[in-house]
Amino acid sequence: MSLEFRLPDLGEGIREAEILAVKINPGDKVKEDQAIFEVETDKAVVEIPSPFGGTVETVNVKVGEIVAVGTVLATFQPDSARAQPGKPAIEASAGPALQGQKKNTVEPASRRTATSVIEDGRQVAALPSTRRLARELGVDLRMVTGTGSGGRVLSEDVRAFATGPTSPARSKGGDLGGQAPVSLPDFSRFGKIERVALRSVRRKTAENMAVSWEQIPHVTHCDEANLTELEELRLKYEKKVKAQGGKLTLTAFVLKAVASALSRYLQFNASFDRAREEIILKHFFNIGVAVATERGLIVPVIRDVIKKSVSEVALELTQVIEKTKAGKVELDRLQGSTFTVTNVGAIGGTSMVPMINYPECAILGLAKAQPKPIVKDGKIAVGLIMPMALSFDHRIADGAEAAQFVLDIVKQLEDPGSFLLEA
Amino acid sequence: MPRKFIELSEKIEYLSILDENAKVDEALEPKLSGEQLKTIYRYMLLARRTDERLLLMQRQGRLGTFPQSSGHEAVSMGAAFAITADDWQVPAYRELPGMLYRGWSIDHFMLYWNGFEEGARVPDNVKDLPICVPIATQLLHAVGIGMGMNIRGEKNVVLTFFGDGASSEGDCHEALNFASVFSAPVVFVCLNNQYAISVPLSRQMHSETIAQRAVGYAMPGIRVDGNDVLAVYVATKEAVERARSGGGPTLVEGLTYRLTPHTTADDPKRYRSDEEYQLWLSREPLKRFRRYLEKKGLLNDKDHERLEAELDSEIKQAMERTEAQIKAEDLKNPTSMFDHLYKDIPPTLQNQRDEFARYWESRHKASDKQNPQKSGARTD
Repeated sequence: MSLEFRLPDLGEGIREAEILAVKINPGDKVKEDQAIFEVETDKAVVEIPSPFGGTVETVNVKVGEIVAVGTVLATFQPDSARAQPGKPAIEASAGPALQGQKKNTVEPASRRTATSVIEDGRQVAALPSTRRLARELGVDLRMVTGTGSGGRVLSEDVRAFATGPTSPARSKGGDLGGQAPVSLPDFSRFGKIERVALRSVRRKTAENMAVSWEQIPHVTHCDEANLTELEELRLKYEKKVKAQGGKLTLTAFVLKAVASALSRYLQFNASFDRAREEIILKHFFNIGVAVATERGLIVPVIRDVIKKSVSEVALELTQVIEKTKAGKVELDRLQGSTFTVTNVGAIGGTSMVPMINYPECAILGLAKAQPKPIVKDGKIAVGLIMPMALSFDHRIADGAEAAQFVLDIVKQLEDPGSFLLEA
Repeated sequence: MPRKFIELSEKIEYLSILDENAKVDEALEPKLSGEQLKTIYRYMLLARRTDERLLLMQRQGRLGTFPQSSGHEAVSMGAAFAITADDWQVPAYRELPGMLYRGWSIDHFMLYWNGFEEGARVPDNVKDLPICVPIATQLLHAVGIGMGMNIRGEKNVVLTFFGDGASSEGDCHEALNFASVFSAPVVFVCLNNQYAISVPLSRQMHSETIAQRAVGYAMPGIRVDGNDVLAVYVATKEAVERARSGGGPTLVEGLTYRLTPHTTADDPKRYRSDEEYQLWLSREPLKRFRRYLEKKGLLNDKDHERLEAELDSEIKQAMERTEAQIKAEDLKNPTSMFDHLYKDIPPTLQNQRDEFARYWESRHKASDKQNPQKSGARTD
């Protein structure tokens, strides 16, 4: 007899969870209590230990899937000794949430397909038939204002939403930024389309960028730095840092230069408090570094950069980036940045206009440093030139200040000796 | 003449006997026998291992949401060890070690956190109240018991527990005040783990300690290292002796730290830094007490392995027993939840009971129809 393992209610009244890691394959032998999945609910990331010892028969979910509580995640062939029918009936159980009275307040799990319409924890009151209609029409129920009792969304609301123009009065909006979405044409009339659910990191990025774009009047200032000397220095000490397990990258120097410049230009280490009509200046310098990962763009934070040496920053950066890419970065690491640096130089590009990581004041974008002709002492020479762009909140600072701030960074990068004078 | 200081009799002490490096202050060390010390350790370890097992069970869907107790062993066990079997214990919900020591079985906790009120049934001959999840309400029950004992002329003591979050509740004030006014023999032990779920102490109160509130109630107050089981024991013991000899209540604050989420539905990484966690992990109560026992020659690695194996098998047996019991028919009908609060059930509750019984019956009929062959199996 094979045993089913269903997704339990891992919190209080959790309805679904995203699969972050699958640690078993069919045919694997597992021990009781061995970690078999890692999932994220809207409360926490948790490891799920196997309640059985045995052999994995099937694994029914993939990384990235959002599954409802009660979904069968995997089936097992138990160790023969454990297959006693007198053993506790886990196979019949779907966790406490699906037993007893609670069930009545939870939509039947079986109705929801494994990757059903993402409702992201927010309950929308609607009958299952209305939900099915919404799925068929491609309508996100959360966008529809219900006219039924207690705000219940009725089938006619869904149809009206699907056919009519999206008027702000009818749509809730807000989830992915301030403005109500404008309805889209039916692209499938022109060819095959695919709908990809917005989840976790992609969703957060969408929210954050929309808020940033809508709330912050962006201005971008561009400059470039000659890194010829810095690169020599970097190559000279690269091995030393490598011996300590780190990578001495250009970014490490840039972080130091930025933190140092920020201490002189606090207006770029600030946030705009619209509600209280104040500018918040921060006297700590935590620099976020945008890292591209398989899950999307994640910005871990290097704290107190100003108090750390270049090699300390380089070592920490190496570890943090590794952890971030592996999806192991602690939540604590993702909070509290005061300024962000994004470096697309590894890929290429001659310039860029970065968008501010809301609610910070500014972001520095680095493009690819490459050898270019420069004029030195009236003659053409070759220099390693890195273009950079600072986007900033024009409510907090002005163009002249931005030019001075960036120049401060440029000067430090062009005169690597200046790092000696820093902590 | 018009302006002068009022002399208050209460001063707030801090007590620590066994520090995080297992260094002991021999002048303050309590005179406990080797057997007593080993008993204390046994229940602290049993609670830790049970807590870990309960977490695995919750993640496997075999248990509901529950609050973990890891990190609080010294406060719970040190205090519980300072009362006698004839005294009362009125717990909140993180006193797993003390409750196990007083005679509750592991089965009780597995049932309780699975939503079966059978888990709250106080074992025979145990003078405890069940786990109390509502915040701070148990303190009033404790004071009521204490006042009752005064009226009856009994010489016993009530030991009750609450958290730092509970200290902000009105019930906490009422309980401390009544205990003080009526000189109730109650020892209030605060498990100050510095967080009320995610609310840090600094947002909970503006004062230095919880113990200093004792001044306002004219009762002795003391803060102890809540990860030092010897300090908790000594402070509680003194308070118990005082209460027993008619000296009234005491407020004991044990400063400690939760090593786990608040409950299984919480993610402390969102509000506590890793540095802070690591610091408090290095101060946790079991490690230092184990080293203390080792230094005294009461425990070696072999003994410890044996003890762990013994406790793990106890826990495993409890799990198997409980799951079999849950499967059994008699726990399936929750109608009995109405039966235990009042000696004679009041009419309003009786109406609810009848209504629920009707609902339950109709629900069963429906599921029998749908699933005739599975009617004997667990619901859903």
